[in-house]
Amino acid sequence: MRLNQFSVRDIPRRRFLGMTMKGGLAVAVTPALLSQLTSCSGGASSSGTVLDTDRDMLSRVLKKALEKGGDFSEVYIENRISKQIVMEESKFRSGLYGISQGAGVRVISGNKTGYAYTDIVDEERLMRAAEVAAYVASGGGAGTVVSLTDTDYKSFVTVQMPLEQIADEQRIEIIKRADQAALSYDPRIKMAMVDYYDEVRGRVIANSEGLYLRDELPMLFFIVQAMSSDGKARHMARERLSLHSGFEMFSQVTPEEVAQNAAREAVAMLSAEEAPAGIMDVVMQNGWGGVLVHEAVGHPLEADNIAKGIGAFTGKVGQKVASDCFTMIDDGTLPNYRGTVNYDDEGTPAQHNVLIENGVLNGYMNDILSARQLGMKRTGNGRRESFRYIPIPRMTNTFIAQGKDDPAEILASTKKGIYVQSLSGGSVNPVTGMFNFTCREAYLIENGKKTVPVRGATLIGSCMDVISNIDAVGNDLAFGPGICGKGQSAEVTAGQPTVRIRGINVGGSKA
Amino acid sequence: MNYISLAEKLVAKALKAGADAAEIYISADRNLTVNILNGEIETIEEADSAGVGIRVIAGGSLGFSYSNSLDMKALEDTVSMAVKFARLTTPDENNILPELAGVTTVDGLFDPDIEGVALDRKIAMALELEKMTMSDVRITKSSGSSYGESISEVFIASSHGPSRSFKSSGCSLGVSVVAEKGDQKKTGGEYSSRRFFSDLTPADQIAAKAARKAYEMLDPKMVKTQKAAVIFDPDVAGSLLRGVIAALNGERVLQGASFLASYMGKQFASPLLTIIDDGTRERSLGASPFDGEGVPTQKRVLVDKGVVNGFLYNTIAARRAGTVSTGNAARNGYTSLPGIGTHHLSLEKGSHTRPEIIAATEKGLLLNGVTGYGIDAVSGNFSGGASGFWIEKGEILYPVDGLTIAGSGEAILNGIDMMGNDIDMDRSFAAPTFRIAEMQIGGI
Repeated sequence: MRLNQFSVRDIPRRRFLGMTMKGGLAVAVTPALLSQLTSCSGGASSSGTVLDTDRDMLSRVLKKALEKGGDFSEVYIENRISKQIVMEESKFRSGLYGISQGAGVRVISGNKTGYAYTDIVDEERLMRAAEVAAYVASGGGAGTVVSLTDTDYKSFVTVQMPLEQIADEQRIEIIKRADQAALSYDPRIKMAMVDYYDEVRGRVIANSEGLYLRDELPMLFFIVQAMSSDGKARHMARERLSLHSGFEMFSQVTPEEVAQNAAREAVAMLSAEEAPAGIMDVVMQNGWGGVLVHEAVGHPLEADNIAKGIGAFTGKVGQKVASDCFTMIDDGTLPNYRGTVNYDDEGTPAQHNVLIENGVLNGYMNDILSARQLGMKRTGNGRRESFRYIPIPRMTNTFIAQGKDDPAEILASTKKGIYVQSLSGGSVNPVTGMFNFTCREAYLIENGKKTVPVRGATLIGSCMDVISNIDAVGNDLAFGPGICGKGQSAEVTAGQPTVRIRGINVGGSKA
Repeated sequence: MNYISLAEKLVAKALKAGADAAEIYISADRNLTVNILNGEIETIEEADSAGVGIRVIAGGSLGFSYSNSLDMKALEDTVSMAVKFARLTTPDENNILPELAGVTTVDGLFDPDIEGVALDRKIAMALELEKMTMSDVRITKSSGSSYGESISEVFIASSHGPSRSFKSSGCSLGVSVVAEKGDQKKTGGEYSSRRFFSDLTPADQIAAKAARKAYEMLDPKMVKTQKAAVIFDPDVAGSLLRGVIAALNGERVLQGASFLASYMGKQFASPLLTIIDDGTRERSLGASPFDGEGVPTQKRVLVDKGVVNGFLYNTIAARRAGTVSTGNAARNGYTSLPGIGTHHLSLEKGSHTRPEIIAATEKGLLLNGVTGYGIDAVSGNFSGGASGFWIEKGEILYPVDGLTIAGSGEAILNGIDMMGNDIDMDRSFAAPTFRIAEMQIGGI
């Protein structure tokens, strides 16, 4: 909801992306024979030295940044090594090997933030960035820089098969297996698209409070899309798998399972009928459906709009905002989860934050600035897409806590409505609390049973209503990975047990 | 730095390293963003950056690499990685670079004055805009105002034709506010985005529209689930029609992943629907002399009176389809291979005024807010959240919110029965007000 988010929308997308995706050293490949990639994958990967930037120099930059009177300064250095291989129509369409590195300098002076970044990390550029960032500060008591000391936090990420040691043949093999599994699932599967991505992201965070942190986190993101067609209908299905982990992710969940899930959805939805329109009961299956609370409740509980005094939940801490059976948590410490951060991009340790407990609002998710503005404890939610962005309050792994109801019983006791098996995604206006979601796979509920599949309907409502209208919470909590956009993107998971929401407006095309 | 000579040097290095064809794409940008909140600067962000994208073809195989280090050693390594990788990949006869010749002349892409305007004046403009918007008594809170600009230069050198470059500018001014009444909150925002600083919409007009969008939606009602006419405000035309544009992407068509794949030359929408993509429009944010791989841009009719008239292609997709590039190669800066995108999109205006369309509507929704993903490019289905005003007997009665609208693309697009004449060509997706005879509306 930041203003610059929509003000740049008028600039054509490719240009906007061009402005925001700068940097890095990468090598990409198109078509096959990628198995031979191994021989040159080491070529450009050894230059992750920006993380070794001299600590005394960082202290000088932090000091320079406060010369105009700012009260907080920070240097964030990042080095990201990534590989992406895409298969479409059973051909390796592109492969990319990249190193993206750079640094941002931030100054906070009261409520004001100055920020400048550079993709070349040397003292001259960092000093210039510090001067630019310091523009916002004027007079006031100049802050001081505490000497930098190593900070060490517990890691919630374990790695058995480090990405650096994985031959590219193994990546290629995973992609081929997924492609074949999708295509051989059913003759009506006409095409598969497999997108494999992995990265190791290194961070150094140093700030005027004396914090100095350095870490490296690996991440894998695997997406299979399957397109079905029976000559009449067509459906593009999707399944995703993502963890902060090593390559062992694919022994926990095989590429075949991911592909078959996508193919199953693609085939099932071919017989989809028009969805009904209007207000009805909705049962959401456990897993990625949690994106509903991510949008509807999570975003409005991010503290930036609360600090501005405009967020939907402003001034409601301690108040009853949801039904008794509803508890919602954001937890950046879940082992190896996609949204896990160890510590956020400002150096605050990740935590288990209970946002709403048995219907009562407990607190918000904040970054350093909004925590200070609201006089709250830091929650470890200050995140950024890369060094090209300032940190803002973001979710990590956000979920509805485990309930007591039997999922089968929740369905059986719902007379009529929509059973949502998966959602494409959605969005919310964090001020008004109005949200929307698009169903990817959904079914009619008739007399307590899932019956015919229905086409991608939109679900809309207000956040306050939806959490008051949840009347059943299952005991089958599960999670799904996603990408959250808020002017900049963040990797997250969303989770929930099976839940029932009484009365959501469904955007069907049938009366 | 002389980027053209750098680019040409890198083409020569790539050919020497074993490439049969090479293309160097360099972009250099400078960006500034100022955010204002409650009469104070909230954030200022500034950055300069530049990078090089290298595309090579060797033995029919394609390789790509990029670097944001302009250090010659790093660039040489990047070139050799691209060539090395290309040698490892399977050849494809469609892997070709465009034969570059001329460029399209487009005036007014760069405003030489934009950087001469002092930062303090730009900050003052955003401050003034917020103040003007907040001066409306019905507006209770600010979400902030902002000013942003970027200066960008693109350079392309290729083994297949002369080098080319262009410089462009863009700036924007916008504001977002909240109107509250009891427990109700409504948000409204408006912005102006232009190539030239002096073309920005005057602040008082932006302020008035942002404020109106917020307060006019207070005290909304719900209506019953029903079928009724839906009038699309120019603000939301793109929310519906961008799925049609995605379905015209030549690569999606080749993959069978488009609901318009079999409609070339055929009627799929009302004869009132004509969609034009124009890369040549003077002073337009979508315009440029050449596309992401150096091919001259064009003005093309994509949909002519409801008939698919042309798909969008870059060079490789065009070759696969047995045709030539339409100048629609789009790049995410220097970090990506060319994809497919559009320039400045517009609908052909119709004959009705907006008040005429409203007056002619017996019962329906004047839609000014849509959420969701628009028409699905693969299946053609549409479903979204909806807000706006309820109309009965040709009169606007009250605001409505929390509704849904849905239908198949075929039914919706064929259902366009009135096209307005109130088009503002400065919008990125320029459309007049238009009406769809009947859609399913979800309510109570």
